Amino acid sequence: MQVSIKWLKDYIDFDLTAEELADKFTMAGVPVENVIRADAGLDKVVTGRIEKLAPHPDSDHLQICQMNVGEGPLIQIITGAQNVAEGQIVPVAMVGAHLPNGQKIAKGKLRGLPSNGMLCSAGELHMDLSKLTEDQKNGIYILPADTPVGVPAKDVLGLDDVVLEFELTANRGDCFSVFGLVREIAVLTGNQPKWPEITVKEDDPAKTADLVKIGIDDPDLCSRFSARVIRNVKIGPSPEWMQERLEGAGIRAINNVVDVTNFVMVELGQPMHAYDYDALVGHSLTARRAKEGENLHTLDDTSRLARGGELVIADEEKPGCLAGVMGAFETEITDKTQTIVLEAASFYGPSIRRTARACGLHSEASGRFERGVDVTQTQRALNRAAQLLQEMGACTVAQGIVDVYPDPKPQVTVDFTTQQINGRLGTDLPGSKMVEILTSLGFDVEETSADTYHVTVPSWRNDVTYMEDLSEEVARIIGFEEIPSTTPFGRVMQGHQSDRQDFIEQIKHTLVRFGMTEELSFSFTNTTMLDKLNVPADSKLRRAIPIMNPLTDDYPLVRTSLLTSVIENAVRNFARKNTDLCYFDVAPVFYPKQLPLTELPDEVVKVAGLMTGRRNEVAWNQKSDMIDFYDAKGMVENLLQVLGISKYTVEAGEHFALHPGKTAVFKKGLEVIATVGELHPQVAANFGFKQAVYLFEADVETLMKYRAKKPHIEGLPKYPSISRDLAMTVDVSVPAADIERVIARHGGKHFRDVTLFDVYTGKQVEKGKKSMAFNLRFQSKDRTLKDEEADAAFRKILEAVGKQFNAELRA
Amino acid sequence: MKEKIDQLKAQAAERITSMTKNLQELDEARVQYLGKKGELTALLRGMKDLSKEDRPKVGKIVNEARAQIEALIAERKEELQKKALEERLASEKIDVTLPGRRPDIGHLHPLSLTLDRIKTIFLNMGFSVEEGPEIEKDYFNFEALNLPKDHPARDMQDSFYITEDILMRSQTSPVQARTMQKNEPNAPIRMIAPGRVYRRDEYDATHSPMFTQVEGLVIDKGITLADLKGTLELFLRQIFNENVGVRFRPSFFPFTEPSAEVDISCVMCHGKGCKVCKGTGWLEILGAGMVHPHVLEMSGYDPKVVSGFAFGMGVERIAMLSYGVDDLRLFYDNDKRFLRQF
Repeated sequence: MQVSIKWLKDYIDFDLTAEELADKFTMAGVPVENVIRADAGLDKVVTGRIEKLAPHPDSDHLQICQMNVGEGPLIQIITGAQNVAEGQIVPVAMVGAHLPNGQKIAKGKLRGLPSNGMLCSAGELHMDLSKLTEDQKNGIYILPADTPVGVPAKDVLGLDDVVLEFELTANRGDCFSVFGLVREIAVLTGNQPKWPEITVKEDDPAKTADLVKIGIDDPDLCSRFSARVIRNVKIGPSPEWMQERLEGAGIRAINNVVDVTNFVMVELGQPMHAYDYDALVGHSLTARRAKEGENLHTLDDTSRLARGGELVIADEEKPGCLAGVMGAFETEITDKTQTIVLEAASFYGPSIRRTARACGLHSEASGRFERGVDVTQTQRALNRAAQLLQEMGACTVAQGIVDVYPDPKPQVTVDFTTQQINGRLGTDLPGSKMVEILTSLGFDVEETSADTYHVTVPSWRNDVTYMEDLSEEVARIIGFEEIPSTTPFGRVMQGHQSDRQDFIEQIKHTLVRFGMTEELSFSFTNTTMLDKLNVPADSKLRRAIPIMNPLTDDYPLVRTSLLTSVIENAVRNFARKNTDLCYFDVAPVFYPKQLPLTELPDEVVKVAGLMTGRRNEVAWNQKSDMIDFYDAKGMVENLLQVLGISKYTVEAGEHFALHPGKTAVFKKGLEVIATVGELHPQVAANFGFKQAVYLFEADVETLMKYRAKKPHIEGLPKYPSISRDLAMTVDVSVPAADIERVIARHGGKHFRDVTLFDVYTGKQVEKGKKSMAFNLRFQSKDRTLKDEEADAAFRKILEAVGKQFNAELRA
Repeated sequence: MKEKIDQLKAQAAERITSMTKNLQELDEARVQYLGKKGELTALLRGMKDLSKEDRPKVGKIVNEARAQIEALIAERKEELQKKALEERLASEKIDVTLPGRRPDIGHLHPLSLTLDRIKTIFLNMGFSVEEGPEIEKDYFNFEALNLPKDHPARDMQDSFYITEDILMRSQTSPVQARTMQKNEPNAPIRMIAPGRVYRRDEYDATHSPMFTQVEGLVIDKGITLADLKGTLELFLRQIFNENVGVRFRPSFFPFTEPSAEVDISCVMCHGKGCKVCKGTGWLEILGAGMVHPHVLEMSGYDPKVVSGFAFGMGVERIAMLSYGVDDLRLFYDNDKRFLRQF
């Protein structure tokens, strides 16, 4: 909705500037999005006469103008325009002007000669080009010869009106009209509106009822249909004042009939339609649901197939008009139209909205129907339209109105007490103040007993049905700034978040502690991503939930894997030459219970990490080795330690996206709690990665299941420990974890821990073998351990390790 | 004898104070005079040849000489130690302007940091943190919030649908209805619900198909619009600053009545008017209102017994304003160079 200040001032006086009025509207819940000044940027543009014109000595197209701009000496301006001549009066942008197109005018030189301003074209002044001739559009805009010189250009160009552009909320259909806005201004300023007198002289002997038949087949979609017939129509342009007002409302002038229907729509908020009477088969109009497949030839000369169920207006033969959305081609008003049926009806908003959306046609009319129109206004609108056309001498008006209104809408009434409204707002207003506000808004208020009121809601306020709605009217008119500020915290409540939320935060903070950075990613994915990730065809990750109306075809699915997200992030960072990355993501993935969905899917929160590039930033004093598998594995080990998850096993594992020889699974019993590995070289190639990338992934709920409920903390040992080193050569295929497990199992009761401190393969060791060195510690809790005891335990370990792994010991 | 001692003393003094260059030479000098085979020791040893009367006298002189030499040595030692330390310090000088060794730092995402701040403020006010599914029933996302199908306000949020009845939630508000329905009817509620939400918005500097919202809901006996104002003012002053201006404008949401848009004075220009606030001096930051009686009824609460307020805010917007970030996409691009600043 937009409207010019001029139109508002036709019906009410106010001294406010457009900006002040906009602010008042906004603070009363009728938001003004923009104040559009046609003269914006024209502050330093004046009219000037070209006193002398001479060619520029150093240019074949520039001309030197000596301009008379009223007071003061002539000023020199160089112009490139060719349509200027001495004696013409033109708009001149003076030095310091800041034109609507953003151009700033400064003193300058053109080919060596000073130029102190600019002659302007219509476009540069933001004039409405659609109303200009070709000559006026091209080159400098030449003003009439009798234009005074040295006056502001906006005054002579008719650019002095100001338009308010509203961004109305869905509940205030009543403000979708000049009358509705004037009512608000009256309440906000206390001034009285000057409503126009709406009277029509039925000067045509014919009776409307004899001329046209009106019917409503589906009263749920069309609650009222009123029509008038006008005859002897003379199609022509509407008067200037009307065109100007429509233009301010953002509506293009077409001809007197169409302009009047639009004018009445904006003025009263009642959409109207005009039919060429002679083109209506059977001179009849029926509002009914379209049947599926019915052909509609609409105003835009397009054939549309009805989906069935949308409201149409049909004559005896066929539907043509999509009610409230678009008229019919055959019954359009043309220059030859002589008799017209004017329609003012009330259509069901949700149905109109559905149709408008389906056709992608949102019109001024459909917008009003969607928000709801005042059903009592149809006759008034018909009379207003007939009156305006009659005043233009454009028609005669037939006798009476045909009005079909099968089920008149009852008046809405609401009861309230002063306490109820004060109790909702936290105010202490007297009942009389509430009555004053509601009355000024057109509500009829009756005090039934002390502080108890019975309110009749005006027909145009479809949004008011409860006491709560009345409380809003009171609040917005007194102004929200008048509502006190209190807090409801008399009752003490314990704020908390769930265990799971705490756990997720702990995961994030732990990974950050170890140098990883958190990313946030969209929950969307696509089949190509899953293909590239090498997800097997039968994996449940392939059963991603499709979105019915994705934003683009690139991301039509809801993600089933967080790995795709960390990888996409790496792709993006690599493209920007960020090659050293340590990222993690904690977010849900979505597994449908069935497809298509009939119930909500499982939302499983995962943590995924990606590590690649240098371990440390390149620096003068820092080694910058590349991250390898063990960095990623260590990250998982650290995470598990902080989360209090211990006594897990680690073994070589398999994962479709990971290198078969560089994948480890962390297990509790048979359950995998985390997976870590190097991205499979083929998958890496699919994503164009030129460096090794390491990934880990875990399921948050599973981790949570195995965390220690309480941290296990031990004091410091009182007695010294004894340390023994164990070096051995074994087959390269023997996993270190297996050796450690055997050491621990055979260590006896004083065995404390084992640390692997060296692994070597190479020249010193036989091919197919590796050398490993462990440090073992023995300790007693209640006394100093004797060397012999440690030695005895150590021997048992040696024996077991030697036997089980065919190890060559070098203790 | 006395001359001999004096001579020796002078010799020693000369040697100690000017002929020793380091601690080792000083020790050699000490040995020469005071050591077991030292010259002064030898003199002392020669005392047995003296007469009984002379012995104490000479002994005294020798001991005095010894004490004097020892003092000289101690003095010289201190001097030499100081010198040695100075030399060492001078030789160990490094270029302290070379960059320090810095282990890589991990960073929480700025939206997490912002959300943490929001959560902390509300937790301290006794709010609990509730959650709901991201793929949600149309019923909870819209209908239970007084937004029946075909309600024009649904246009405000063009949603991603999975089926006719299931969608990617377009707001965190469904957690309101879920929380009420989980509770005993009319049980007091003070909660926030943060989370991801989805709308069919083109990805640009201020829109994203996925973003983060925080919903809030307070229900109890006698909750008023004034309570809503007070609570949100308290929050906004903590998250922005003590002096931030707060303005409530009447607005419309189907699930609240009355409804308000909440503005803060522009944090960039402090209300003077700039590009960020489009010259108005105000920034829209929150939507809020008194819970609509329908919404309470649909979830089993009795609007005659309790009332409540609800609010919703975008975490991205608050983060953009608090960090002075002008393009929302920076949050979801996850560029290392951006994230490392937090």
